[in-house]
Amino acid sequence: MLTPLPADRWDRTKAAHLLNRAGFGGTPAQIDALHKLGLASAVRSLVDGPAQPKPVLPPPWAKPQDLASKRDGMRDQVAMSADGKERGEIQKRFNQMQRREQVGHTRDLGIWWLAQMRTTNDPLLEKLTLFWHGHFATSVVKVRDAFWMWQQNEAFRRFGRGHFGALVKAISRDPAMLIWLDLRDSRKSHPNENFARELMELFTLGEGHYTEKDVTEAARAFTGYRLNFREQSFRYAASEHDDTPKELFGRKGKFDGDAVIDLILAKPECPRFIAKKLWQFFAYEEPEPALVNHLGETFRLCDYEVRPLLLRMFSSEEFYSDRAIGTQIKSPVQWLVSTARIFDTDYPSPFVLFFAMRQLGQILFLPPSVKGWDGGKAWISTSTLLARYNLSGLFVETATGPMLQGIQKAVRDLGFDTMNDEPPSVRMPDAGAVDVAKLIPAALRTEPAKLIETLAGRLFSGPLAPRQRDAFLDFLKTKPSPPDDASIRSLLHLMMSTPGFQLC
Amino acid sequence: MNDHPSTDTPGTLQTRRSFLRTSLLGAAAAWTLPIFIDKTFFTLNALAADSAIQTVTGKDSTILVVLQLAGGNDGLNTVVPFADDAYRKARPTLGLGADRVLKLNDQTGLHPSLAPLKALFDEGHLGIIEGVGYPNPNRSHFRSTEIWQTASEANENRAYGWLGSYFDSACQGADPTVGVAIGGLSPQAFASKTPTGVNFARPEQYRWINYDKTRGPNNASEHFFRELNMPGEMAADIASIAGDDPARDSGGSVGAIGGSIASGGSSLDFLERTALDAQISSDKVLEIARRTKPLVSYPGGRLSESLSLVGRMIAGGLPTRVYYVSLGGFDTHQNQQPAHDRLMQELAGALGAFAADLKAQKNFDRVMLMTFSEFGRRVEQNASGGTDHGAAAPMFIMGGGTKAGIHGRRPSLTQLHQGDLMHTVDFRSVYASVLEQWLKVPSQPVLGRKFSPLALV
Repeated sequence: MLTPLPADRWDRTKAAHLLNRAGFGGTPAQIDALHKLGLASAVRSLVDGPAQPKPVLPPPWAKPQDLASKRDGMRDQVAMSADGKERGEIQKRFNQMQRREQVGHTRDLGIWWLAQMRTTNDPLLEKLTLFWHGHFATSVVKVRDAFWMWQQNEAFRRFGRGHFGALVKAISRDPAMLIWLDLRDSRKSHPNENFARELMELFTLGEGHYTEKDVTEAARAFTGYRLNFREQSFRYAASEHDDTPKELFGRKGKFDGDAVIDLILAKPECPRFIAKKLWQFFAYEEPEPALVNHLGETFRLCDYEVRPLLLRMFSSEEFYSDRAIGTQIKSPVQWLVSTARIFDTDYPSPFVLFFAMRQLGQILFLPPSVKGWDGGKAWISTSTLLARYNLSGLFVETATGPMLQGIQKAVRDLGFDTMNDEPPSVRMPDAGAVDVAKLIPAALRTEPAKLIETLAGRLFSGPLAPRQRDAFLDFLKTKPSPPDDASIRSLLHLMMSTPGFQLC
Repeated sequence: MNDHPSTDTPGTLQTRRSFLRTSLLGAAAAWTLPIFIDKTFFTLNALAADSAIQTVTGKDSTILVVLQLAGGNDGLNTVVPFADDAYRKARPTLGLGADRVLKLNDQTGLHPSLAPLKALFDEGHLGIIEGVGYPNPNRSHFRSTEIWQTASEANENRAYGWLGSYFDSACQGADPTVGVAIGGLSPQAFASKTPTGVNFARPEQYRWINYDKTRGPNNASEHFFRELNMPGEMAADIASIAGDDPARDSGGSVGAIGGSIASGGSSLDFLERTALDAQISSDKVLEIARRTKPLVSYPGGRLSESLSLVGRMIAGGLPTRVYYVSLGGFDTHQNQQPAHDRLMQELAGALGAFAADLKAQKNFDRVMLMTFSEFGRRVEQNASGGTDHGAAAPMFIMGGGTKAGIHGRRPSLTQLHQGDLMHTVDFRSVYASVLEQWLKVPSQPVLGRKFSPLALV
């Protein structure tokens, strides 16, 4: 029931857990620092964010483009050409160039975001943005414009820890969402129900808490939302808005889109639905019904403000219970970002990242459907598990050349011949970026048990079971004594190639 | 647990415990598991232990091979309506005349490079399904591929692939290799609620790759990797057989705090079981790859490589129901003819060799290969000697048990929709037929609704 955790039960394991879940984990020093703050200040530091957040610099190309003028320019060219065949060619070249540019930018965008997550000093902001990306799951496959995808991402950052209603209203006007759920084509004469339905089913209430009539009425309220292609922005077309009376949830009025959102927010299912989903993302799956009710009530009492809800969640006994700590299967994004963060190192390379997202089953800006990612056990198959184990090698081992060549080939072979014509930039990364000397003091090399304890403390969220510890010790016995860098790299790879490392 | 083989050999390693660990784990790598490990494994896989719902595996049942022609194959120049005036008019330079095609009848012929397929057609082992597509066709590669892979409507977004839905609804508890995709990434068609199916471009990639320079049983990384990737209870069994104090080895695994989450269904449990599945299926795949050789020689090319690998996996008895292979390069907007000729040659050469391989294995009767492409090409050739994205196109089905001949009806070349052929067969009718007649499962739970099947078997 969200019982506050007594301050004297705050310990280092809980600090590590908080950093894993409210962010993307960190180095032992970062965990120590968080632990020293004490429970209340530690939670505040993450939920409120730093006093001076690092500015999130957009990718260089993330500016509105005058798409309308661009197209007009192409049309002028077409008009000047007398030759019918040439006209077709001009148009085709134009479309091809546009597509190439968008595919390149989209690839950049995912890698740009992973870089933010790795380097930010406000990890909760990025973690929460990831949550909202999965909640209002929008895919570039249909939006086909990287700037608009970036803009939506920025909206999650701007509104994500504030008032939920303000966030929903912002997203209902978000150009990427307008394209994704066909709102931009919704006309007074033919309202499109796609957005109205998902708004209730997936974004706010959950199935069973609205009627078909509510959907059709809401669809009428959301008419008139349009796109401005000259400024790449939202535009409201009053002439396309249906301002006749509507009836929703038993209430009558000339509701517009925002009014519909207000009606939804007034329903008790809404805070429960959202608070439960936040809990599942940050704490654990299938929370007890009593806890769900309590979470919903708390969110309502917080007046839909996300920040105070998170504050209470992260300060609760339940959040630090055995059901929560070390039980979550890392998402591919969590796996990539936290691996880099716990080693305090860069990713193997943008090229590997792109491949990894695909192979592990979570491509940013490309969720499988409007329902987002299933998460949990659905992240894991024999293939994705082996892929995690093998990608681990790229973080810690040095002789990774053949593996990288295999990745390059795979991306060329399958990743791109159906998506576009151009392979991604083939840049060989600096393999084995982890600096062994930084991870362990030289003196530890002569004390295998302590060495293993130190490394395990960095990698795992719980203590080692005896059989694991013995296996790592026995492994070190097969290596030169004291172990050289190569042996320690192999030990790290082995430690990461276990079920335990997939959990946080 | 009492019927394990007794062993008193001292071995070369230092202790009895580590010796047993090595030999037993080594044995787990072999094709046949020692009975007690086998039992443990099956107890762990409660679903598989229930023989009532155990899936018939590809070891003795029918097998489907799906071949994706990525990029949009020019259907009209693959199965050619050579006698149609409209075809000749629309394809003044790209068109294939009566003198060049391999005639199937007085209307329809195959591309001249498809001789091996003509032979299969003549012997009654190749079927052609004409005019396959879907309503409101999408001309984006990515989106149309997605529609084919997920068996969705044109305006519908589905998270799971059609083969993934087949795994979910009909293959619960099956070996992960029930679906095998040849390639570095898993196709969207395999996306499933319960992740099933494996993918690898080469068998050597479907394993844990370590950087220990020692090869074979003395590779310490490999040795300890195996030990660390078996469920705790199984390791404890082995330890107790080895005479270790069982209490010492109990108490959960890495990541578990206390024993509270060690109960069935925990994330760690699930990961440990999947890790064991991965080891065992990886061992199987590698073992088959080592043991088998193609029985015929395949021509060069990527598709041949993929299909000869599939042939070896079938010969080796991998319990797979669905294989997935792909050939790219069909997006022929410019100067199509030489490129398309090469692709047709690669396709036919690989399919011909695959058929011969399966016949030599005596497995031809239980394998069906089906081709698909995200769309065909525009009827009219373009100004660059190529063709642009189109809609409906033919599919091939091949195998000893498939109904040969021409199925469906070729779309009209004069009644077009935006310059494209209008489909006469919904691709989901083909999927439904394959599911029901070949894989012998109800199609509705997989496809979401009923589609009228064609007689393909």
